[in-house]
Amino acid sequence: MNEFSTLVQFFFSGLTSGSVYALIAVSLVIVYKVSLLICFAQGEFFVIGALTMVTLTSKGLPMPLAFACSVLISAAVGALVERFLIRPIRDASVGSLIVMTIAISLALRGLALLIWGKESKILPPFSAGKPIGVFGATLQPQVLWIIGITILVLLVIWLFFEKTTMGVAMRACAENRLGASLMGISTEKAAFLSWAWGSGIGALAGMAVAPLLFMQYSSGVMPMVKGFIAMSVGGLASIVGAVVAGYLLGVVEAYTIGLISSQFSDTIVFTLLIIVLIFKPSGLFGATRSREV
Amino acid sequence: MKKTLVVMAVVTSLFFCTGLFNGAQAQSKTPYKIGFIVPLTGYLSWLGEYMKKGAEVKVEMINRAGGVNGRPLELVSYDDQSLPETATRHAQRLISRDGVVAMMGTGTAVVSGAVSSVANKSKVPAVIQSGYALSDKETFTFNNAHPTDFAISRPMMYFQKKGISRVALLMPIGPLGELGSGIARKHAPTYKITLVGEEKFDVKAPDVTTQLAKLRTLNPQAIMAFTTGEPAALLARNMAQMGMNIPLVVSHGNATPGFLKLVAQTPGTVIVPSGKIMATETLADTDPVKKVVVEFSRAYQAKYGEPANYYSGQQADAVALIAEGLRVTKSDDPVKLRDAIENTKNFPGCNGVYNMSPTDHQGTRTEDMILLTIKDGKWAVLD
Amino acid sequence: MRRLGRYWWIILLLFIALYPPTLGGMSAYKSGVLIFVGIYIILAVSLDLLMGFAGQISVGHAAFFAIGAYVSGILTAKYGASPVLALIAGMALSGAVAWGVGRPVLALKEYYLAMATLALNEIIVTLIIGLQWLTGGASGLRDVPAFSVPGFSFDNHVHYYYLVWAMVLLVVGSSVAVARSPFGRTLIAIHSDETAAKTFGIDCARYKVRAYVLSACYASLAGSLFAHYMGFLAPDDFGVMTSINILVMLYLGGIGTIYGPALGAVFLKLLPEFTYQFQDYELLMNGIILIVVLVFMPRGLFGILTGIKERVFARSAR
Repeated sequence: MNEFSTLVQFFFSGLTSGSVYALIAVSLVIVYKVSLLICFAQGEFFVIGALTMVTLTSKGLPMPLAFACSVLISAAVGALVERFLIRPIRDASVGSLIVMTIAISLALRGLALLIWGKESKILPPFSAGKPIGVFGATLQPQVLWIIGITILVLLVIWLFFEKTTMGVAMRACAENRLGASLMGISTEKAAFLSWAWGSGIGALAGMAVAPLLFMQYSSGVMPMVKGFIAMSVGGLASIVGAVVAGYLLGVVEAYTIGLISSQFSDTIVFTLLIIVLIFKPSGLFGATRSREV
Repeated sequence: MKKTLVVMAVVTSLFFCTGLFNGAQAQSKTPYKIGFIVPLTGYLSWLGEYMKKGAEVKVEMINRAGGVNGRPLELVSYDDQSLPETATRHAQRLISRDGVVAMMGTGTAVVSGAVSSVANKSKVPAVIQSGYALSDKETFTFNNAHPTDFAISRPMMYFQKKGISRVALLMPIGPLGELGSGIARKHAPTYKITLVGEEKFDVKAPDVTTQLAKLRTLNPQAIMAFTTGEPAALLARNMAQMGMNIPLVVSHGNATPGFLKLVAQTPGTVIVPSGKIMATETLADTDPVKKVVVEFSRAYQAKYGEPANYYSGQQADAVALIAEGLRVTKSDDPVKLRDAIENTKNFPGCNGVYNMSPTDHQGTRTEDMILLTIKDGKWAVLD
Repeated sequence: MRRLGRYWWIILLLFIALYPPTLGGMSAYKSGVLIFVGIYIILAVSLDLLMGFAGQISVGHAAFFAIGAYVSGILTAKYGASPVLALIAGMALSGAVAWGVGRPVLALKEYYLAMATLALNEIIVTLIIGLQWLTGGASGLRDVPAFSVPGFSFDNHVHYYYLVWAMVLLVVGSSVAVARSPFGRTLIAIHSDETAAKTFGIDCARYKVRAYVLSACYASLAGSLFAHYMGFLAPDDFGVMTSINILVMLYLGGIGTIYGPALGAVFLKLLPEFTYQFQDYELLMNGIILIVVLVFMPRGLFGILTGIKERVFARSAR
């Protein structure tokens, strides 16, 4: 147990937390990119995804099938929420919309409490196996799964938004609403799909990280706040930025805890966030484009 | 101006609504009402569930046996959401609207603080169960949970016996951690234990290997982490991941079926200080608490189909203490009830034999605790 | 009807004054609920000055609520200071913090501003937990004495009710005055178009910081009132969730109207008094009620009221 392996362990610890923050930040960015809305209910989709998967696997469904079903169920819930709760007030101010997402998060959390009860649930890791040892430090194999899933998600998002007609249309909506609607692109449909995407990826994040945590109906709040931070450091509308910022946040947190103070680590991290925002108001990776949006 | 008229109308009607709403409830003189403040939602809701079940079983047992002074007990339970402000409102509602003779419950130190504040202002006794340390000024508050002092010195006693002298502290950021850290420092010299280092961690963090790695460089023989529930399970899991094969002592709040489920599959030695209720079958027939513990466990098992646990037993004791106080005073006067509870002597309960006094509002002793560990997915007595 | 419209405030005052001895029946519970309602009205109205008028979003208003509460709590409980002095000290510290962070932070826009204020809230809370020797840490600060002025102690809940509601009227009244003053109109101008305001030679940053300081001072006042009423302080009551709750009150009631947020505070603080009996369903109920209000009243409670009133008056005019 030398000094070096301790430093590596700090890094692995940061990687583990960071992988949680990055995936949830991606789900926040997806909704924001298309509907310019920060969704406070995202933590609930995270929980719903994980808990649905726990239920399905305990009912004997094979892992991959349970995984797919949970994503689809959550995406459907997200799309329904958009259709019946967000669309009726889409002309209201951004503030009212945010408050609406807060109300939705309360309702979904209340629903999760009724469905899954209060005790924490465990989801087994996707692959059994011993922790991976490098230079005397250890990493849980599940973290590699999360990283893999993150890369896959980035790839799918890229393919969808760059290569499919629907994806390009949705991007157009984000960049110029009026222009898009003049060109016959339905902004309603785009918002609907972005919610489906956002909640689906939120659920995916929940399922992927659940084996690292213990999931209960109110477990979504902490990852969501950290997701917000990653999102704003990453520049709000940049998906790659959110991923990088998520891991950065995890690693910075770990080294702050390890080298400076475990008592004041949050104070330091939040102070750093304010400093980053002040000196780089559009985030570390904010493109100039997103500022105009 | 017109706008303001409308505002006024609504404000007025809302106020009237509360008035009507509150006026509607009827006061029945017969039962003794006991106010019960529990965390039924929020991150500690699983704990509130055990507390609630324990209280309900005990109240049923007492009522089936004819109640107290011929009057039944009635629970009035409210969810504190682990927030002091909410708890304050509930405590006030319990006292001035529901007219309870005493309050009990809480579970967290901060909620205990809020409830204790109301109890002492209104001079109504409160029997709380948490790590909250009482001050001399809080003459109306009792805390029948095993104090943190016991839960820390009990494992230290065991360490001394086993020749473990280098211990590291890993404390959660929060009231429990603050308390645990201070008390561990106080008691370590008594048991010839060197505290080699201390780290803090956020109970909501997804990973604590950073802190563990730091502590590992100090070569501890055991880790004491005064934390409850998921974070405690996460520590065990992270230690297993890093191959740290030393005992982990967690708080006495973990002696629950829920925690058992969380760590049953995790290798390593987890030590949980607890009460005798977790080991009913190993109790000697001469043990003064055996009868109480066995009867309660049987009733609990019959009602909920699961074994009684430390929290439910502790809550049952609170009900029993209040009931005993009522039996002695035979009056609804809260001050007399307080005096009666304060003079409880040789009263067996699930947590041990209670001996209260004006200077001791807790009542049990360190020896009333046992140490549990997990073997083959089940609780086993370690010491 | 018109005359009634002009003198509405007399009726409101009478109602507030007569509530405890009549409907409230001097009960500690009822005055307790209304004391919390009053404290949150002050918070909501103070945030409305910042968000509704200056247009600066804040998801960290509880930071100043916390500063007020803890300065009052620490100075009176640990150092035996006079509650009035402690209250003023709290407002001074909150104002100073707002002034210090105001200029760089308020230069940010929208979501970035929201994140920065959220971070400020977290920093204050983590400091309260970390500086245990001073604040009592996460275990809480005990034995905060009752509020008192030389010669009189507000240790009775009815007295305290009157004190809190006097402060509520003071804050609401002064906020309305501020909103109608040239200062308030300048804020609205900045809110609607900052670039245009700049071209008129308005030092926007200065005005925004002033609004922030004022809003922080009011929130701090609410904190002090909270501290003396609770008698026990713990960081749990001042987290981001509290800030979000205040934000919800604003939009629920109707932002930028002063009376709207006050109404939102009344609604949101009374709601749990009715839904607590649903136990496990409470969370879901609260969520659904909020959703219904938002869907059917996009302009907030106050908006719907003025809507009804306009219709009524239009009919009577006909």
